[in-house]
Amino acid sequence: MAPKPKEFKDDFWKTKDFKISIGDIIQKEGTQSTDEPLVPMGPTQKPNVTDLRSWDMKLLERYEPFYAPLCDMCCLCTYGKCDLLGKKGACGIDAAAQQARTVLLACCIGSAAHSGHARHLLEYLIDKKGKDFPIDMGTGIDIEAPIMRTLIGKTPKKLGDLKEALDYLEEQMVHLLSACHTGQEGSSIDFESKALHAGLMDNLGKEIGDLAQIVALDMPKGDAEAPLVELGIGTIDREKPVILCIGHNVAPGAGIMDYLEEQNLEEDLEVCGICCAAIDITRYNKNAKIVGPISKQLKFIRSGVADVIIVDEQCIRTDVLEEAKKNNAVVIATTDKMCLGLPNKTDEDSDKIVSELVNNQIEGALILNPDKVGEVAAKVAMKTSEGRSKVKVLPDLDEVVELAKECTECEWCDRVCPNSIPMMDAVMAASTGDLSQMQRLYNNDICYSCGRCEQECPRDIPIISMMAKIGEINLQDQKYNIRAGRGPVQDVEVRRVGAPIVLGDIPGVIAFVGCTNYPDGGEEVAKMAEEFLERNYIVVTTGCGAMTLGEYKDEEGKTLYERYSGSFEAKGLVNMGSCVSNAHIPGVAIKIANIFAKKPLEGNFEEIADYILNRVGACGVAWGAYSQKAAAIATGVNRWGIPVVVGPHASKYRRLFLGRTDKEESWQVNDLRNGEIVNGEPAPEHLLYAAETIGEATVMTAKLCLRPNDTSKGRQLKLNHYIDLHKKYFGTIPEDIYKFVRVQKDIPITYKRDVMKILDEKNWKPKKLPQEPSLMDMKGD
Amino acid sequence: MNERVIPWQPTVIAGPKQALMVTPETAKMMVKKAKRPLLVLGPLAKEEPLVTHSIEIAEKWDLPIVTTADTFKIYLDKRVETKAYGIVEIINLLKDPEWEGLKGEGQHDLVIFIGGIYYMASQGLSTLKHFAPHLKTLTLCKYFHSNADASFPNMKDKEWSIYLEKMKTD
Repeated sequence: MAPKPKEFKDDFWKTKDFKISIGDIIQKEGTQSTDEPLVPMGPTQKPNVTDLRSWDMKLLERYEPFYAPLCDMCCLCTYGKCDLLGKKGACGIDAAAQQARTVLLACCIGSAAHSGHARHLLEYLIDKKGKDFPIDMGTGIDIEAPIMRTLIGKTPKKLGDLKEALDYLEEQMVHLLSACHTGQEGSSIDFESKALHAGLMDNLGKEIGDLAQIVALDMPKGDAEAPLVELGIGTIDREKPVILCIGHNVAPGAGIMDYLEEQNLEEDLEVCGICCAAIDITRYNKNAKIVGPISKQLKFIRSGVADVIIVDEQCIRTDVLEEAKKNNAVVIATTDKMCLGLPNKTDEDSDKIVSELVNNQIEGALILNPDKVGEVAAKVAMKTSEGRSKVKVLPDLDEVVELAKECTECEWCDRVCPNSIPMMDAVMAASTGDLSQMQRLYNNDICYSCGRCEQECPRDIPIISMMAKIGEINLQDQKYNIRAGRGPVQDVEVRRVGAPIVLGDIPGVIAFVGCTNYPDGGEEVAKMAEEFLERNYIVVTTGCGAMTLGEYKDEEGKTLYERYSGSFEAKGLVNMGSCVSNAHIPGVAIKIANIFAKKPLEGNFEEIADYILNRVGACGVAWGAYSQKAAAIATGVNRWGIPVVVGPHASKYRRLFLGRTDKEESWQVNDLRNGEIVNGEPAPEHLLYAAETIGEATVMTAKLCLRPNDTSKGRQLKLNHYIDLHKKYFGTIPEDIYKFVRVQKDIPITYKRDVMKILDEKNWKPKKLPQEPSLMDMKGD
Repeated sequence: MNERVIPWQPTVIAGPKQALMVTPETAKMMVKKAKRPLLVLGPLAKEEPLVTHSIEIAEKWDLPIVTTADTFKIYLDKRVETKAYGIVEIINLLKDPEWEGLKGEGQHDLVIFIGGIYYMASQGLSTLKHFAPHLKTLTLCKYFHSNADASFPNMKDKEWSIYLEKMKTD
């Protein structure tokens, strides 16, 4: 309930020169604005965590949290450290609750990163365009904010309308973060419920952020034909002054592009980006270029190509200033999230800032005005570029060999490598003049250049600088095309594919998302995407995952984006955009429930999530997830009923959600058509699953697209892919196939004899098919 | 500190409790003492000579085998019976005292690991360390796993090969 406006009657207000403006007009409860059609409001408008707790409990009962402590200790308060191995902490917390608490904390951090970003972006865009700037997603998108509609119960018409959703989100986040305090929650299951809520808030924050930037900055609005843009270190013209943007907030990058356009300098400077800032700048202006995902950061900074480095927020190396100094690059910080100890020059005259930076009077600058960033960055790059070209940045190849000879084979570089890559052998090979091993580690980001090896080396061998130099050997090959982020799926596309997805005729929607913490480089992820594309799945992608898919070429030199359509259709490869565009993944699942099944969204979270869990064959793949944002993203989509497969490093998030096929009672569903409780099958079997290898992940991903609502035709098709892939990677028909065959019609014709043999061995009996499988209205509700 | 018992990735160190560093002799005593041991082979056990070592150790001690990731196919091709699980699936079953084990004869009391991806195996071992007091874990990798109950030390291939050969004798 909003507070009443204060009555400004007393003398205090008369004597002070206050300017008062009244913001939102508070409507009388129970009334609705007249310019909007009345919609029925479901039970959970602006839900608190406890409003959705009963749904969480259903999920958590079926997909029990699986904990893998990264640390036996808790060191959050001064009672500690407390050793939780077989013991409780001084506050009474046990190991399971502590893991769940840490996951909640991670999800809060991730969610806050996206939502802080959204708040910053929204205020900036309102300041630039006005609060009444219309939210117009074009003729193809009527449901422009499916998450917001479901949670807030309203349709945002103007930029200013997004504030209400952000206010709600921020209120929720304070409560969730407060639960992490010592002596609050004590149950691991309730910590998980709160983590799911934090993930949901993350989804909402991302939707607000992306929607605001799409409409205000005129980014593609669900355009399947969004332009191809350049990607790769080899695409950067090193003869020009180069401005590099790192992070996630488009505002400074947009400011740079605007300034260059105003001054007719577009041809004279190179603007490129790393991480999601790169994706979003190319959505704003296709003349910008993408260096690559997060894994390119240190390699590219070390290469010395960038004259000016603009940092905004999220996933930026925190030692960027130290690294930039090594080659005289200038750093400009642009948001309150990362100030780097630099002097705040926001209110300083632009030319004075340029002068101070060029003459090294200041280490760098904090400039919080994106337009000023544009001007300063361009001027500094033009003034410093020529001088910097004389600076010798990297060792030449002969020096690389000499440096490698310093190696004493202590092996510590291998041991501290988070990815356990054979760096020592590569360095030793380089010492003999064979650079191929280091090149193999550089290519495809098998080494993601964290620099831990370099710090550990007792001989101070500059391994990353050597890698950066070796990476330049095939610079010409590091040129790719990626489709610019198109934003959400259009309603008309949902109308076309909603039924085939729900009935199972399209075998699944696979979302390749997340960071580049890959166990064995990015190419295998791209090949996995290619596998599913060739099998007529719909593949969607965002952020660093989208860049990874773009860095793989076939024998003809074409990337996946050049080979497959950008439409949301079978065999379509849909780059939705940046990290915040991840909101459109649950968004499209919600739209399917609304457009295809006519489910009302407003205040109706549980019904929508239940529909998605039981009917929408979608599965996320975050093979290189590393960040707290990725934790929040996955946890959020899990709450909507979408399973996610993660890579081996993600086991370090400490928690998974695993189903147990041997516990048959956990797979019961309610057939809403007749109210009967029936034994369902484990579909989807897990909600959050960590795989060790890409083969395992591929098979599991296909399996996690199964849904109780599949028609027999759809189930046949999905099982056909599951069996095919299992034979490819495991050599056999999967032993658990009998668990997913409900009636004989479900059996793929190609494999009928083999499957029947397994069914006979397992004493299989046909099952009754539920017409409307659901977890709602079960006993105990 | 003895380098052989610093975890191979030093940052996996989790707390005061560390694995017992074992020689093949002690490891064999653990296997002999176990009523229902289980061998879990990870994706690093897809390569020779580890495939042969693993098969021969399993044969020697009559160990049922679980293969994780997509390791199953290599052993299938060699006509060695294994059961495929994701590493997180088998760990999830092992931590449940009610699970009846691979052959339905009861939960296992000793789980022997070879060939897991180091950092992920560490996580799985941590799960069992915290939530499966009913069983012991033993790792026969060439890396010291501090989250196990017992582990071989960090070794070079040559010494490791000698250790594994010794595991095939009484």
